[in-house]
Amino acid sequence: MALHQTPTAFDDVDPRKRVRNVALTFVAIGLGVLVLMLLESIGSSKLTQSLALFAIWGVATVSLNLINGTLGILSLGHHGFMLIGGYTTGLLILDEAARARILTSARSMMTEESLAISVTSMLRSLGLDALTTPETLWVRFLIAIFLGGLMAAFAGLIVGIPSLRLRGDYLAIVTFGFGEIIRLSASTRLFAEYTNGALGFPGLTSEFGKSIWWTFGVLAFTVFVISKLKFSSYGRAMQAIREDEVAAQAMGINLAYHKVLGFVISAFFAGVAGGLWVSWLGGVRLDFFLFQLTFFFLVAISAGGTGSITGVLLGTALVVFVRQYGDPLEQTYTLQQWLAFAGGALVLMAALAVLFRSLRRLRPRFHWSAGVLAGAAVLAFVIAAIDPAFLEGTFRGFGMRAIFLSVLLIAIMVFRPEGMIGRNEFSWAMLLRERRSGPTDEERGQDAWLTNPVLNPRGTDVDPEAGPQKPTAPGRAAARELDADWDEGVDEASRDGTDGSRAPDDGPDDGPDDERRR
Amino acid sequence: MAMLEVAHLNKSFGGLTATNDVSFDVAEGEIVSIIGPNGAGKSTVFNLITGVYRPDSGDIRFGGRSIVGMGTNRIVDLGIARTFQNLRLFTNLTVLENVLSAQHHALRTTWLSAVLRTPSYRRQERRMREIATEKLAFFGPRLMSFRLNQPVYVLSYANRRRTEMARAMATGAKLLLLDEPSAGMNPSETKEITQIIRRMRDEGGYTIVLVEHKMGLVGEISDRVIVLDYGQKIAEGSYRQVVDDPKVIEAYLGKKAAAERIEELEETGER
Ligand SMILES: Nc1ncnc2c1ncn2[C@@H]1O[C@H](COP(=O)(O)OP(=O)(O)OP(=O)(O)O)[C@@H](O)[C@H]1O
Ligand SMILES: [Mg+2]
Repeated sequence: MALHQTPTAFDDVDPRKRVRNVALTFVAIGLGVLVLMLLESIGSSKLTQSLALFAIWGVATVSLNLINGTLGILSLGHHGFMLIGGYTTGLLILDEAARARILTSARSMMTEESLAISVTSMLRSLGLDALTTPETLWVRFLIAIFLGGLMAAFAGLIVGIPSLRLRGDYLAIVTFGFGEIIRLSASTRLFAEYTNGALGFPGLTSEFGKSIWWTFGVLAFTVFVISKLKFSSYGRAMQAIREDEVAAQAMGINLAYHKVLGFVISAFFAGVAGGLWVSWLGGVRLDFFLFQLTFFFLVAISAGGTGSITGVLLGTALVVFVRQYGDPLEQTYTLQQWLAFAGGALVLMAALAVLFRSLRRLRPRFHWSAGVLAGAAVLAFVIAAIDPAFLEGTFRGFGMRAIFLSVLLIAIMVFRPEGMIGRNEFSWAMLLRERRSGPTDEERGQDAWLTNPVLNPRGTDVDPEAGPQKPTAPGRAAARELDADWDEGVDEASRDGTDGSRAPDDGPDDGPDDERRR
Repeated sequence: MAMLEVAHLNKSFGGLTATNDVSFDVAEGEIVSIIGPNGAGKSTVFNLITGVYRPDSGDIRFGGRSIVGMGTNRIVDLGIARTFQNLRLFTNLTVLENVLSAQHHALRTTWLSAVLRTPSYRRQERRMREIATEKLAFFGPRLMSFRLNQPVYVLSYANRRRTEMARAMATGAKLLLLDEPSAGMNPSETKEITQIIRRMRDEGGYTIVLVEHKMGLVGEISDRVIVLDYGQKIAEGSYRQVVDDPKVIEAYLGKKAAAERIEELEETGER
């Protein structure tokens, strides 16, 4: 049973359920906070760091997905926006000691004036000295990431403009180019005064970037804004643009405005993510913002489900997990061990093939390909056990994490191109299995009545025998005026059993039988 | 004063003249049909009016105001909406979302108040839903109940055509350009859509220009018929006047193949 795409949730649910949903959301947030507290107190610092990284990258992927998933534009320049936010935040909150060190360093490219730029000096000039104490660093950090976001949003405005004239692949290349231009120009003479060239700023506080409270707080804010946007009229307009630009424009939607709006909002959150990211890393350097970052985000989006915020977060969790806990993949092992691993991977693939086929109800469940995989696995194990001379030596799995992620991405694209959860969005209704994937029996009956001339020779709107139906007045008038036979083509949906027109014997009181007709 | 005035419209694609000095007027409350053999330039006229193409020369006035060179979305704001010959729905969105998205251009709040769900936004969103159901109700209850939340890709072809017409109505336009509204519909569905188009004018207050191949439909509802052939207007008048016009008969029957096609159309469209 396929879940239907979430319809725009808005006042659709009855008020009691809305209250319940809000209550459930608060309970879930409360529980989430408790779990985070627990993890923070008992978990290792590695775990909290990984959670914080998940939240930071979550901000980046959810915002990137506004362009890629909702607006339907493949953007490859997200690392550029993050860089702008990262450098802005870094420069603005660098502490005095670090500034002094940079100034006295021989290779520094910064000047006294550029080093004087900070949130502290801004607040001083505004006479807000109370906010410049060490205890109020968090206020300054908040201001810094906000300003970083604004700077990135401005860049998003500029990058958004070519998107008005270009489409598809060409636009993707342009966004990629912009990302690289931003990264490369940061090291040029023009900006080196503010970015310290290739050196960057070391010694940034990790107090915020590694705090799960800060990062999850920002993530919650991001998800709130972007999901509210997605499920508003503006989000519908953006999705309409994704579906068909010509039609969207013919329905009065201003393409330019909505595309640029999407870029600006997305870039803002990318900038904020960049600010948290440099804090997590404890410094700012050019190679923290390689294209690889955008690649990881794209893997997360595609793996989780393009266009779905829930899916994107799921994908991000997967990618962050592999990044943080994938070290064993990159260790040095003997070739014999590698061969044994390969055998294990083949066994796993064979098992997945069988699982996949049984989930899809494909027959035979044990396809020959699974046999081939299993055979190859046995071969690998046997060779590893014999340990012939050519298996001497060791090999370091350098870059194996990226390879692993790429293979995973290929597998997902082959077997489930819509991503793990497709376009579906988490909702309480879905969790409680309230989401309707088809009509009720009553509606089936009504539909059969409307579309089947055998049941309804006079073409009236309402089956007098069925339960209370309340079609709207114009609908009733419409049907009355019609000539009898509404011989509607059978919907595709009816083949899935969601359309009532071919199943008059479906419910107990479905349509009237011949007797009742007379 | 006519609602829509099209004057000396020329458009060519490379060497091919798609419309050649086409002029016509549409008065408020009229149903005007544009007919003509395949490739006569009917859809091109729609594309020129809605700003998808820019005419090489000529003028298009809507409510007395020239709309040549305006963006497609601006023209919708002024009050002209259309459907497409080959259906251009937002297939992954639901029926309701499709019809709602056509009202977005009239939304009078910023994106920020939409995110914050301000009372003004909520009121407008509710109003948009009312309008959406009102327009969908033209087609009977079939698009109303559970179909409202079904994605368009599960709909039948006829239901997609209906959804597209509801979407065009929902834009708030006064003039609707319908490009072959009955294409792909069976005879009884065609009969039904004929009634609905008339009700769209009578009850909805829309002015309608439509392109059609099914002569039965054209003859039944048109106040006026315009005939195009090779990009040129060759006749204009009531349905009877036009079908008896020798030039029109020649345009259709001049070629043997066209003659057969006409017969076939008469059979399916007029029964
Ligand atoms: N974008 C375009 N580029 C090149 N030629 C075009 C373009 N659009 C239309 N044409 C040509 O212009 C002529 C008129 O096309 P148009 O689509 O207006 O015909 P039509 O009267 O709508 O025909 P049909 O009944 O088949 O829909 C055709 O010969 C077509 O090939
Ligand atoms: Mg056409």
